[in-house]
Amino acid sequence: MTDAKTKRSTRRSFLRTLLAIPATAFFFRNIRLTEHDDIVEVDGWILKRSDIL
Amino acid sequence: MIFQDAAAYAASGFAPKVCVIGAGPAGITIARKLATAGIPVVLLEAGSNEWTEESQDAYKGVTIGDPYFDLDSTRLRYFGGSSNHWAGWCRILESYDFEPKTYIQNSGWPIRRSDIDPYFDETYDILGLSPFRPDVPVTDNFRLFQVIKSEPVRFGEKYAAELEASKTIAVVLNTEVTELSGDGRSVTGGKLWSRGQAAGEIHAPYFVVATGGLENSRLLLWSNERSNGGVVPNAAALGRYWMEHPMYITGDALITNQAFELDHEGEAFFMPSPEAMARLQLPNFHVQLETAPYRGVKALIANMTCYAAPETTEWLSHKLGQRLQCTARVHMDWEQLPREHNHVALSATEHDAAGVPRIALHWKKDESDRRVMLEGMRLFGEEFARKDLGRIHISDWVRNGEDYPDGMELAGNHHMGGTRMSDDPKLGVVDRDCKVHGMSNLYVGGSSVFATSGQCTPTTTIVTLALRLGEHLSRTISNS
Repeated sequence: MTDAKTKRSTRRSFLRTLLAIPATAFFFRNIRLTEHDDIVEVDGWILKRSDIL
Repeated sequence: MIFQDAAAYAASGFAPKVCVIGAGPAGITIARKLATAGIPVVLLEAGSNEWTEESQDAYKGVTIGDPYFDLDSTRLRYFGGSSNHWAGWCRILESYDFEPKTYIQNSGWPIRRSDIDPYFDETYDILGLSPFRPDVPVTDNFRLFQVIKSEPVRFGEKYAAELEASKTIAVVLNTEVTELSGDGRSVTGGKLWSRGQAAGEIHAPYFVVATGGLENSRLLLWSNERSNGGVVPNAAALGRYWMEHPMYITGDALITNQAFELDHEGEAFFMPSPEAMARLQLPNFHVQLETAPYRGVKALIANMTCYAAPETTEWLSHKLGQRLQCTARVHMDWEQLPREHNHVALSATEHDAAGVPRIALHWKKDESDRRVMLEGMRLFGEEFARKDLGRIHISDWVRNGEDYPDGMELAGNHHMGGTRMSDDPKLGVVDRDCKVHGMSNLYVGGSSVFATSGQCTPTTTIVTLALRLGEHLSRTISNS
């Protein structure tokens, strides 16, 4: 598996994890991945992933 | 010498080498520079010593396109010009601003910032500034830069006594040039209007139009129409490529590690690196953090619940609460691209008291404005989080591409372009010396010569360019 595919897979896993938690899915209405693995945009907030894990 | 009208001036027998039209920051600076070389200058001011409704009326006009300020409130028409309501914020265009960019059509000036460097000390002296502190890199792609919030210089007030005492500069108040006459090679004279009536003509070997970033286009468009192209023989760009600095509150910030210096008003200014702009193909912009007192935190969070998911806000505030230092509004100003269709035109139906057509300003933001706002906020927010300086929230209207909100500032009252500088007469009105292409004795001073606008307030660069033009004209006259 290439690095790019690994990254995409990690992002998908992350999203799946988020959406699998009902409370989190309820909290976050709009999630956008960024070009950085450690940063995610949630409802317009630009957060570190560690903020929401 | 200061004369109160054209009749008093005519009776003086003063013989100018240069006629400078407009006594704002550019006109006064050019006149003073010429005077230091011993060159006699007549400096015409359409208004009087103070604001009057009658004078200001000539600035009325309409804007077609996006909402904009009333054209008779975004500028002032009396001695000292729009410096009379200037806020005093200073910054000079960056080196990067002068350079052409492959991804921005019609970008690039024919001069570089090194061409205006020699005039910085004199500019600082005029505006009462200390040299700017070096920029401070705060993230990989942003640097903190200094905006000097100076005590604003009111040029009319500051230099009134000097000009009154001068034997080389003749200021004529209450007197405007309604139109210049030209034969396609040089200006041959200007029709005067003084105290509500025609007042003959003025003649001088050289003319400088310095009536402001909207009015320069108006005077030259009307003069050109009346003289069948004899004043601006290459008029393809005349009035066009007009620019502003759109500015809006685009989000909020929670600051958890204030590792950067705030100014005395609790504000900090950040500008992207040239590399970041090139990579994202963005024009220049700046992000301004306007911090709120700590007691404002609860109010800010409460306000956020109006537009963010309430649970998100609650969760985030709790998460960050332990290390929250302060909050801030995020304010963005950006460089509007030079678009030919944004232009100053003459009204076909409305005229001022002197019979000059009023301005019809065609001005509209476009997709590039949306893009720099959103991508700029995202870039800044990502950098802010990665460096753990805090967290940024982008306003919903920015993310969702909704209408620009009412009740915000809209723009900076910065009127740029219309007689832009270019080596190519098809793309500009003046050459690198601010001389009108094809004309031997006609020059333009002020922000209308800006080829691009950068992200900063224009007055400092206006004064610097005026000093450069004054020196160039002094040299030209001395050598002729």
